[in-house]
Order: sequence, then structure tokens, then C-alpha cells
Amino acid sequence: MSKKNSVVTLDPFQAWCHRWGRTGTVIALVYMVALPFIFLGVYGCIPSLGEVFNVATIGILAIYIPVGFSEALSYVPLMGTSSYLGFITGNIMNLKLPCAVNALKLTGKQANTPEGDVVSSIAVAASSIMTVAILTIAALLISFISPIFELPAVQTMSSYLLPALFGSMTLGLFASTGSGTKVVKGGLKGVIPVIVLVSLVTLGARLIGQGGIMLGMVGFVILAMLPVSIITSRVMWKKGKIQVVDNPAMAPAAEKTEE
Amino acid sequence: MTTIKDLISSPLLLILVIAGLAYITAFSVVYLLKARKRALELGITKEEIANIIKSSLVFSVVPSLSIVIGLVALAASLGTIWSWWRLSVIGSLSFESQIASSLAAALSYSSTTDMVNNATGREFGVIMILMSVGMLSGFLILIPAGKKLMTSVDNSKQGNGWSQVLSGCFMLTLLAVYVPILLISDTIQALVMITGLFVAVGLGIVAKKPGWGWLNNFIMAGSMILGMVSSLLWTAIF
Repeated sequence: MSKKNSVVTLDPFQAWCHRWGRTGTVIALVYMVALPFIFLGVYGCIPSLGEVFNVATIGILAIYIPVGFSEALSYVPLMGTSSYLGFITGNIMNLKLPCAVNALKLTGKQANTPEGDVVSSIAVAASSIMTVAILTIAALLISFISPIFELPAVQTMSSYLLPALFGSMTLGLFASTGSGTKVVKGGLKGVIPVIVLVSLVTLGARLIGQGGIMLGMVGFVILAMLPVSIITSRVMWKKGKIQVVDNPAMAPAAEKTEE
Repeated sequence: MTTIKDLISSPLLLILVIAGLAYITAFSVVYLLKARKRALELGITKEEIANIIKSSLVFSVVPSLSIVIGLVALAASLGTIWSWWRLSVIGSLSFESQIASSLAAALSYSSTTDMVNNATGREFGVIMILMSVGMLSGFLILIPAGKKLMTSVDNSKQGNGWSQVLSGCFMLTLLAVYVPILLISDTIQALVMITGLFVAVGLGIVAKKPGWGWLNNFIMAGSMILGMVSSLLWTAIF
């Protein structure tokens, strides 16, 4: 295998993100972990290791630690360099990723390109600032707004955020795999085994009255299914069932440039 | 003895939280300015950038309001300051709520309300530390391997095409997992999702008509809101 492939030339913004975006993320991370220790130290309330990590708490951590791994493996390749900021401000699936996808769709840029990365980063940064602003206002006015947010209708609507979000962005997600000068033709074939497996397991869970458990397990499921879809896609691509072709939508522009 | 009530309304906690949020906001602003500068250099117009920002701000309102509902719920058991911090940074509402209620049970409190009335400062410390370290596993991949992950799916070099197939693979896997779960596990969930999809398609068709192009900035936000509102109808019917 040629060693030339391992030499990566980065766009200046991507290089800035990998250097300073990552440094900024590490600083934020250290602050987040240090905050409780500084605060509890002042009050003399730092609990012992045994109080923090015991049978009751390890069970909860055992659920959320794989979710974190799954989020990193599945979202980072989608969000590119905006991941550094996105992971710090959180709420990726319900906020940052849809914003990035929407921005790519609006501008017709492709993910994982220099243009796609700046567009996603603008969207994620704007969204992060907005969320911090809204939560700050809400925290200041919490005693006034609590009655509104405790209304059953508001709580019902809020509990269906994720399905509503997927309904609104599914087209955008498909569109974002088809922008740029090249498009992947037949990419869906690579995830057919995943669709079949997840559908069968979800159907089984629903039939035994445990349908709701699947959404809680989604982090594990993505983690388990990623290798399946990557291997299937690789095999299909090798056999020519999945192809990378010129984007017909971009052809007139390319011809114009050549003239 | 220091109690949870002494800690959740502490001025020191407020100062630490404000400092942290100021840093994160400044980090976001720097990111935005750097990306904007590079976008202009890459030929993306000021109008396109303004549209991205406008659309992202509008879209962020509704999910943020859902997080506010979480803030209201969590503040009742952990105080406003700590809940505000946790939900503004990497915290997830489901994780924070689960930690709070599971610990209330583990510490022999009948509910989170009982806990906020009777817990000690050390018990609140357990909650603070667990919430702070519990969601960090993603960073163990992002910090050391993020660059490698991103460059492995770099679409700017055409190569033999595998990187483009791989790049699309992540998005499609996400869809292939979420869509069947949302459609099959619960009827109302499925109907809400289908409503959101139909509204998005409808708005997309309208946005293609002359003079309606501005609607493109609001398709996702609009279809999401109407999808959520439809849940009231579906829950009333089923």
C-alpha cells in the first residue's frame, strides 16, 4: 500500500479546529470535571471514591459510557470539525446535528469537505449561542415560567421532539449524502441488513410490550450496527453495487466553468 | 453539617457556573468568526452565511424550549444553578434525570423531592461528580482520534471513492437505526414522525414556487413544530 495516502493536507480552518478547537475543548473539559471538586472542596463535602462509584451508580454509568463512545464514532464523521464545539455544548442528536445537516442542505455543500466544515461550524456555533442564551433566560425567569412548562400539553409535545425532528430532517439527511460534485449511488443497499435487523428486534420488543426500551438502547444499537453497515457497504462497493458517480445536479455548473 | 440546600443556592456555585458558561459562549463566538472568515475566503456569500445563521437560530428555539422543560423538572430536585449548568453543557436530560432519581433511591430517599429536602452536602457531591464524569466517554475518542476519524471520511479528495461511501455510511446507519425504532416501537411516535415528514415535503414544494424561497430557512423548524403539535391530536385519538 502506498504511503502517499497517509499524508493529509488540511484546509486552514480544519487545521485551526484540530489545533485550537481541540485545545479549547480540552480546557472546557478540564473545567467541567474540576468544577464540582473545587466547589465541594471549599465546602468540605468531597465524597469518598466508594460513595461515588458503587453498585447503584456503576449500573447507570455502564449504560451511558457506551452511549458516549457511540456518539463519538457516529457523529464525528458526520459533523466534521464542528464536532469539537458540538460535543462541548451537547444535545447533538436533537440540536447540533440537525442544524449542521440543515446548513449543508441550504448551501448545497457536502459534509467532510472544507466548505462543508465551515458551513456546519457556523450552524453549530450559532445554535450553541442560542441554546445558552435561552437556558440563561429560562434560569433567570424560572419561577415565572415553570407553570407554563408544567402544562400537560407542553410536556406531551416535548416528549415527541425526537420523532418530530426525524420526520422533519429525514429528507435533509438523505439530501446531505447527495450534494457536492460526486454522489454515492445505491448507498442505501449498504444499510439494508441494519434496517432488517433493527426492524425485527424492535418488532419483537414491541410484541412483548417492551417497545419503549429500544429508544433507550439506541446508543448500543448504533455502536453494534456501524461495523455491519461499513462491512456491507465495503463489499457492495467492491462488487460495484454501490458506486461513486458525477452529481448530475452539478454538471451544468462544471461545464460552464470549463467553457 | 452542610446540607444540599446550602450548596444548591451557593453564590460560589453561581460564580463558577457563570464563568464556565462565559468561556463556552466565547469559544462559540470565536468558532463562528473563524468559520465565517474562512467561508468568505472559500466563496460562500455573506447572504448564504446570514441564511445559515438565521435558520440555525430559528431551528434551535424549539429543541431549546424542550431543554427548558428539563430545566424546570431538574431544578426542583437539584436547584436552578446546577441544572442550568448541566443542561447548557454536555449534559443530557435523560442522563441527569436518571442519575438524580437513581441516587435518590440508592440513598433511601422516597423521591427526588425528599432528597432535596434531606440530603447532605456529600450526597449532593456524589451527584455532581457522577453527572460531570458520566458523559465524558465520547471525548476519549474525540480528543485523541477525532482528527483521524474526520480525515478518514474526507470528501475533498476524490481518490477511489471509498471515503465518500464511508462518509455516507455513518449518516445512513443513523437513519437505518432511528427510523425503524421510531416507526415500529410506538404508534404515536410513528404518526408524529410521519406528520413531520409530510409537512417538510409540503413546505419544500411551496418553497420551490417563485417568491417563496425564503421558506427554505424555516422548513425544518416549521415541520418539527407541527409534528410536535400533532402529538396532541394523536394522543387524543389513540
